[in-house]
Amino acid sequence: MTIDLAADGAAQERLCRFVAAAAGATRATIVSIAPLRGGAIQENWAVDIEMEGGAGAGRHALVLRTDAPSRVAASHGRAQEYALLKLARAAGVAVPEPLWLCSDPAVVGRAFYLMRRMPGVAAGHRIVKDISLGGPRDALAERLGQELARIHAVTPQTVTRLAPDQSFEFLTPASAIPGLDRVKLYRRYLDDLGDPHPALEWGLHWLELNSRPAGEITLVHQDFRTGNYLIDERGLTAILDWEFCAWGDPMSDIGWFCAKCWRFGATEREAGGIAARAPFYRGYEAASGRRIDPAAVHYWEVAAHVRWAVIALQQAARHLSGAQRSLELALTGRILPELELEVLNLVDAAEGRAA
Amino acid sequence: MTDNPDGAALLEEARRTLLETLLPLLPPERRYDGLMVANAMAIAAREAGQGDALFRESVNLLAALFPAAAPSENLRAQLLDLEARLAREIRAGLCNAPGPRRDAIRDYLRRSATTRLRLSNPKALSKPSR
Repeated sequence: MTIDLAADGAAQERLCRFVAAAAGATRATIVSIAPLRGGAIQENWAVDIEMEGGAGAGRHALVLRTDAPSRVAASHGRAQEYALLKLARAAGVAVPEPLWLCSDPAVVGRAFYLMRRMPGVAAGHRIVKDISLGGPRDALAERLGQELARIHAVTPQTVTRLAPDQSFEFLTPASAIPGLDRVKLYRRYLDDLGDPHPALEWGLHWLELNSRPAGEITLVHQDFRTGNYLIDERGLTAILDWEFCAWGDPMSDIGWFCAKCWRFGATEREAGGIAARAPFYRGYEAASGRRIDPAAVHYWEVAAHVRWAVIALQQAARHLSGAQRSLELALTGRILPELELEVLNLVDAAEGRAA
Repeated sequence: MTDNPDGAALLEEARRTLLETLLPLLPPERRYDGLMVANAMAIAAREAGQGDALFRESVNLLAALFPAAAPSENLRAQLLDLEARLAREIRAGLCNAPGPRRDAIRDYLRRSATTRLRLSNPKALSKPSR
């Protein structure tokens, strides 16, 4: 069931009662509520709440994040994402502070959580174009490398120490060769979708033949890219969108961040459309103590384009099936040829052919 | 035979009206929706002008790779069938041997992606690839 929070007074009242109880306040009142343009997978609302009584008395700028009416197969629900935000915070990653989780669908129609609203801009096209944002771009890229290193410091061994009261059994495990896990998964998704995609099969077969064991298995964010972090005038304020986290090869996140499909047209700035790779790699290597192997990153850039293509097909299918009619989802289906061409280019480059 | 202007021309004109007349009137938070509508109309207009030439070219190229494939009146169904065969062969590792067949498959994949990109986002073709 979808509830328009901005128009539904009864839902707003239920939300206020939930917040007051969760925060230990005597009363909570919504000062303003408006939808935020978010991802295609969940809905985000900017909510300002005035609280009376308790330790949190005063005005709070929050974001309410709830599931969208339909979901992409690999994404976690809100309860898991809330646990991941707590884990990331414990690991020292810049994330919005998660405040309260509500699993009861009776309040706003679906599970949701509230977190502090961080200042800044996330829109990839703006970040790439407007270089007055985010401070000096090399420093921003270096900082992002450091943040990613903090995420990768979370391993199956350290996770219980970092967040002893949470269970992370929902995180997809990785085998010793995470690339092969991915190949199997994307083939299954393609088979579920039905139509043939020979160019993606071309990339998948190359990924199968060229897979190598990971140096180590860590937490991977799986959507760490321009468009999913917030920057203000001075620099980074938060890493967002934790719903795809899993165990995996840390190099996969480096490949995703640098993949051409996430440079928002600024293809010459290979680190997320904001800087050269060097400062990003430098920040990562210094903070992680790990060396970045360019061949491994190249492998994961092929995987990145195949993965985004499969997700784009799934998003288009949500529209085509009628589960969630949306022009944005429909148009996502039309980015396939661009991704296919880049898969072909990257495979050719790895095989020593000029693209 | 249709009356003039045809569907592609109508879409083109409707898109011009949207961009020049209506878009400036939209509130800022709806501007992105307006641009998405314009983009969808541009893709549809390019595709409408294309007819079934795209299917025909692909089917001809693939039929050369699979000479035993039965011809069909329905180009779209035939293309899906041929692409499914190609996808299965690639997945099974049957296209790995270096040689003319592998080169022809690579050329087909590149050509198909480029032709479809010309419809979906021709601007991306004019950019250098790296």
